[in-house]
Amino acid sequence: MNEVLPDVFPDESLPEGAVVDGDTLASDTQDAFDVVVVGSGAAGAVAAHTLAKAGWSVGVVEEGPWVRTREFGDGVYRAFKRMFRDAGTQVIEGWSYLPVLQGRCVGGSTVMNSAIVHRTPEDVLAEWAHRFGLGDAISAKALEPHFDALERDLSARAVSDEALGENNRLFLEEAGVRGLPARRMDRYEKGCRGTGRCFTGCPSAAKQGMNVSFVPWALALGARLYSSCRVERVLVDGARARGVVARSKNGRRVVLHARRAVLVAASTVQTPNLLRRSGLRARALGEHFQCHPGVGIAGVFDAPVDMGFGATQGAESVALRRTDRIKLETLAIPPELAAVRIPGAGDELMRRFGSFPHLAMWAVIVRAEAEGTVRPAWGGRDQVKLSLTRTDVERARKGLALLARMMLEAGAREVWPGLFGVPSVIQSADDVRLIEEVPADSRAFGFITTHLFGAARMSPDPRAGVVGADFQTHEVAGLYVVDSSVFPTNLGVNPQHSIMAMSRLAATRLAERRTGQSTPPANRAA
Amino acid sequence: MTLMPFERRWAVAAMQAIFPGSSDMGLADIGAMNVDGFLDEFIAVLPWRAAIGVRLAVWLVAFAPFWVLSRFATIVRLSARDRERVVVALMSSETYAIRSLALVLKTLGALLYAADDRVRTKLIPPPANSVTQIHRRRPRAA
Repeated sequence: MNEVLPDVFPDESLPEGAVVDGDTLASDTQDAFDVVVVGSGAAGAVAAHTLAKAGWSVGVVEEGPWVRTREFGDGVYRAFKRMFRDAGTQVIEGWSYLPVLQGRCVGGSTVMNSAIVHRTPEDVLAEWAHRFGLGDAISAKALEPHFDALERDLSARAVSDEALGENNRLFLEEAGVRGLPARRMDRYEKGCRGTGRCFTGCPSAAKQGMNVSFVPWALALGARLYSSCRVERVLVDGARARGVVARSKNGRRVVLHARRAVLVAASTVQTPNLLRRSGLRARALGEHFQCHPGVGIAGVFDAPVDMGFGATQGAESVALRRTDRIKLETLAIPPELAAVRIPGAGDELMRRFGSFPHLAMWAVIVRAEAEGTVRPAWGGRDQVKLSLTRTDVERARKGLALLARMMLEAGAREVWPGLFGVPSVIQSADDVRLIEEVPADSRAFGFITTHLFGAARMSPDPRAGVVGADFQTHEVAGLYVVDSSVFPTNLGVNPQHSIMAMSRLAATRLAERRTGQSTPPANRAA
Repeated sequence: MTLMPFERRWAVAAMQAIFPGSSDMGLADIGAMNVDGFLDEFIAVLPWRAAIGVRLAVWLVAFAPFWVLSRFATIVRLSARDRERVVVALMSSETYAIRSLALVLKTLGALLYAADDRVRTKLIPPPANSVTQIHRRRPRAA
């Protein structure tokens, strides 16, 4: 089986002058566009492409560098250093530390996620409509054409036989034996061969991250990208957004004027403080931050599992999403992260590490009820605080216990729960009760999160939200927020598809109104 | 921020205790790798708070022999066996902050150790696929 790679990747053949690299910018610079988009991740890239396709001139500003496909390696450290926010050390503070992995590069977190496709669950949309007063503005019907288009453009498809890999196959087989509804994940990919390297950047550009899809497509339509430029604030004049002021990595001042609108898609952690720096003072700004904490469990099988081959994440069960607010999924991890996750130190760690080829890793993610805050901190840092509730931890514990049982039934000779207060190795179904009995204290768990929501919540009521149902801020006309910070709640499923569809919906509605100025916030119906 | 030379020695000693290698499995000792260079490079790219966390972790493990083994010595003065006892004790501490700081050092060591070719070749089967570049693909405007 040969892996066929193109000799030119989509991120290599770009129009002349389409990318301005803030690492080598020679002098201060100004530019003007119809719209300026802040961020090039799932939300920003889709919005930029949608508006460029509608004939708008588009400027995109991205804080991180553009790491090209050909530069991707398989080392986690190199990826952390170049492409992850805070070199992979960002944490949410609270009762326990909750590491947050976020991309900080062109393409954002889509460069290192698993490109998992899930439409926004209808029960979540119903909750948004009724509890948050969004009515029909954000509905399944409104989003459907955008989901359809995205699935077509990014080639959403179920994991193929040749890319499945043993870690995913074991999960599906065991779920089938148990009668637990499970399936192969749908992902955005074109020709994935299962190199298991989603996390460090797809080396064949098979994964349709924004870096090889909507960003280059937008540039081909005339958009211009300023990479390695951090937006300091939105320029606001007369309660209307007029552009952004950014600082390039090498210290140059970059001013991008926006004739029609500024779209902020800087992510749930960065957007609230950017809005604050721009003068917004909505009561809901920085409030109601939510996430999906996840925790993994490892099992050692007699036969090789080889997590280095197969879709990084290729199998899942959402059967317990509504009843228990948990989702079960596979998660192949590279040796560097396995070495952290494998219990012990010294000779014991080495012995276990030698089992890496036989290791399977599955995980539970929780639709956490906990809400937190995003605030500015000393030194310009974004400070996120959140403490998981006891119920959130109990749900994670239930999911881990189920996964432990599944692993043992699937033939694992050892399961490594990775929980403080539980033996580092369990070998029988009877021992799973030790997981069920562990105190519901987040400090005993090795949670991590990548799915972030809220903190600039959407609501027609300016006292309850930051943006209205048209994604425009209540305080500043022409200033839109199109990332997951506007989501009223978390989802219980992987959010990239919802983020892109919401952004596409916002940009499409904006493009449809191109003949006139945006309606001043005061005149918009609540 | 950079570590002082004595702090680097403490960090290297701790990482060697965590990742001593295994001759049985042909896994190299982390001491054979460029730990100093890695630490300098990584700490330089960390935000200041994370860099302080690393420094705290180094100091914690350096002086842990006082209360773990009741020995008046830093970790570099211990035998390999005692170093391992110290790091294991820290990682299984009842105090969340202590085991979290110990995990910082384990994480740093893992990023270096498991990325090393000598280790990876023992853990990851060679790819069955050959990689060829045979056709040209252009970005498209969807």
